[in-house]
Amino acid sequence: MISLSEANQRSIARFRRKLSTAMVLVVSAITIFALYLAQRNATATATRDLQQNFQTELSGLHKVQELRHAALVERCRALAEKPRIHAALEDNALDLLYPSAKDELRDLMEGEAPTAQQEAGSLHARFYRFLDSNGAVLPPPNPKDVGELSAQAEAQLSLKQLPDTKQIGYIGENTDAAEETVHEIVVAPIFSTGTGNVISALIVGFKPFELSGKGTGAGMASGIWANNRLYLPSLSKERRAALGIEMEKAVANSNSAQSNFVVTLNAVPQLLFYRRVNPGSPFPQAYEVCVYPLADSMAQLHRLRWQIGGAGMLLLVGGFVASHFVARRFAIPVQKLALVSEKNRARRRRADIALVSTRKKLRRSARYSADASHQLKSPVTVLRAGLEGLLARDDFKPDVYEELSGLLHQTHRLTGVIEDLLLLARMDAGHLQLDSEPVNLSQLIEEWLDDLGALPDSPEVKIEKEFPPGLYVAGERQYTSLIVQNLLENARKYNRPDGLIRVNAHKNGNEIVLTIGNTGSPIGQHAQAHVFDRFHRGGTVTNISGHGLGLNLARDLARLHGGDLRLICSENDWTEFEVCFVSSPKTANRSSQNT
Amino acid sequence: MGYHLISIITMRRLAGFTTVAALLPISVLAQATVEGRVGLTKSHPAPVVAQRYEIVTRGGVLSTQPPLAVVYLDGSFRKPSSQPTKQIAQKDLAFVPPLLPVQVGTRVEFPNLDDTYHSIFSYSPAKRFDLGRYRPEERPIPSEVFNIPGLVTLRCDIHEHMRGLILVLDTPYFVVTDADGRFRLSGLPFGRYTLKAWVDSKTTREQPVELKSGVTSHVDFP
Repeated sequence: MISLSEANQRSIARFRRKLSTAMVLVVSAITIFALYLAQRNATATATRDLQQNFQTELSGLHKVQELRHAALVERCRALAEKPRIHAALEDNALDLLYPSAKDELRDLMEGEAPTAQQEAGSLHARFYRFLDSNGAVLPPPNPKDVGELSAQAEAQLSLKQLPDTKQIGYIGENTDAAEETVHEIVVAPIFSTGTGNVISALIVGFKPFELSGKGTGAGMASGIWANNRLYLPSLSKERRAALGIEMEKAVANSNSAQSNFVVTLNAVPQLLFYRRVNPGSPFPQAYEVCVYPLADSMAQLHRLRWQIGGAGMLLLVGGFVASHFVARRFAIPVQKLALVSEKNRARRRRADIALVSTRKKLRRSARYSADASHQLKSPVTVLRAGLEGLLARDDFKPDVYEELSGLLHQTHRLTGVIEDLLLLARMDAGHLQLDSEPVNLSQLIEEWLDDLGALPDSPEVKIEKEFPPGLYVAGERQYTSLIVQNLLENARKYNRPDGLIRVNAHKNGNEIVLTIGNTGSPIGQHAQAHVFDRFHRGGTVTNISGHGLGLNLARDLARLHGGDLRLICSENDWTEFEVCFVSSPKTANRSSQNT
Repeated sequence: MGYHLISIITMRRLAGFTTVAALLPISVLAQATVEGRVGLTKSHPAPVVAQRYEIVTRGGVLSTQPPLAVVYLDGSFRKPSSQPTKQIAQKDLAFVPPLLPVQVGTRVEFPNLDDTYHSIFSYSPAKRFDLGRYRPEERPIPSEVFNIPGLVTLRCDIHEHMRGLILVLDTPYFVVTDADGRFRLSGLPFGRYTLKAWVDSKTTREQPVELKSGVTSHVDFP
């Protein structure tokens, strides 16, 4: 069991920490962003709701006001068309004007003044006056009948010129030192039936419509701003004065007919809306003023903010916990990976060591083979030279020559073995470099088959061959030739008398397959597995020359050329080998050289 | 259309009747006659068959439409002991006749011939009165005596467009011209007088005339 090293454990802990931190950061960022969005959304919604509430109340108020105005104006217009009033004005009977009007305006002037609740539906008038053709007030014979007014207020009724359309104005009056009242006046021009000119005007004064604050759900209060004074009876005098200053500033700075802004009265924010109510009137500019306390909506917004903040905190904590767990969960596979890689590293280290030692052994063994071959070559050459020298003499008995000739043949065999060993040693050491070229395999086989008959001690065998001419393989001619030679020689050597050798070659895709089969006793089942081992010889056929390196060398060479050598079968008087070569496209100059 | 014709006929008959009635008591003493034509402004050049007479105010001036004039002999004459009662009816939301000359002291009745309320009043300096609302079957017929010479504008409090004129004159000799402005005033006392023609509330033309017994003088008001 491999355990993690301390360094690895540290780095895994570091990874976990980093992952956790990153996730916390991401969670925090997302939460903060979501909070920001929610907050903004909530604020926008609250503002919109507030605006809607305000607008709803305001439009309700305006509707009532408009209805009342329309009723007042219509009433005044109807009065101005009364025949008695016209008769008094046109038939030179001004003394009858106010008495006639008193009769006509009885419904407006008489009766109790309405209470605040009834006011919206009431058309109760406070006073009425007529203007003469110059715009001056026609003095009433009995002021009590027409509603008493202070001289200051009455002076405000006079106009420089009679208007030819209905007009609305607001005039203030100090009824006593403490309280100020404002009158809403409707001026209806009276046209002469003869000339069509304005000959007079009827002025009727009413109490302005106002919201008391009790009747409205949100506590909206309304009043009138005229003559640089604010008339808003539902507010205390101090608040009124403070609002008046704000209104004065707003009206001075902006020329717009209506606007709104937020003012703070006694630390309570209020939304103040104002609207010009008598544009184009010959009377001083007047504004309707509505004050809407924002305390409730502010408190609501505050509460909402706290709720959102709390939810955000919960979300954040949840996110932290979740990210901690997720980081731990993510670290587990990493830990496993680290463990696996540790194991792999240990295994690789061992394999590397083994590889190095194997390489050393191989190199030593190759060097040994090479050294041995070289060391053997020279004495064999000396031996062969000595034997050839003895054969050249003529003073021995004939049986000595026979013996000498046998010994010389053995030195030739020895040379073959040494050369094969040398080649194998070079291959093992990886020193053999191939100079690959297209080799005409068909031609090569033909040549070796020709040579086959010339070999000594060969049984008479029949040869069957089946291959197309001009099969080219990629390789070095010397070694390709060695492979073919080895296989053909074996086929002849291990054949029986009157046997058969069959040579087939064909192209199969990108490779050339050569099969060489021969009759003769097969290789034993056990020996088949070791047929390609070095120095292995079929134990049953001891009288056949060979040194047990041929097949091993042929297979190594075939593999070196990118092909292979296999024993296909060896049973029932038939042994067959198959060798694969890499096919090569024939090139003109090479083929001409080889043929 | 139909009632227009009727109104014209009614008006003409009434006018004729007025003239005849005014002249009857003094026909024995006075034998002079004056006739002529008052030049009336033709506001409608095209002849209108069924023109309804009404009082119009144009630039603050009251007159009849189509124009009619009242021709009367100015001067001081003795008052008759009794005056016949005259009538101005309210018919089809209009005063019929729209213009009525009466001698000072004449009682004028205002019968309501419509089937709706009327409320006749006048704020004119020559006569202020207010009959209040009354229905057609109101009896006695609401009436007023006109004692001060001058022009009295009649109005209805309910129907603001209704206008009527009563020209209260000192003289018993007066006549309403026809639509062409022609008039004939007979049974007049002889002597030098001023013949006046009331054309509208602001215009009264006058011509000196010398009346001789049995002679028909001819006076035109251009």
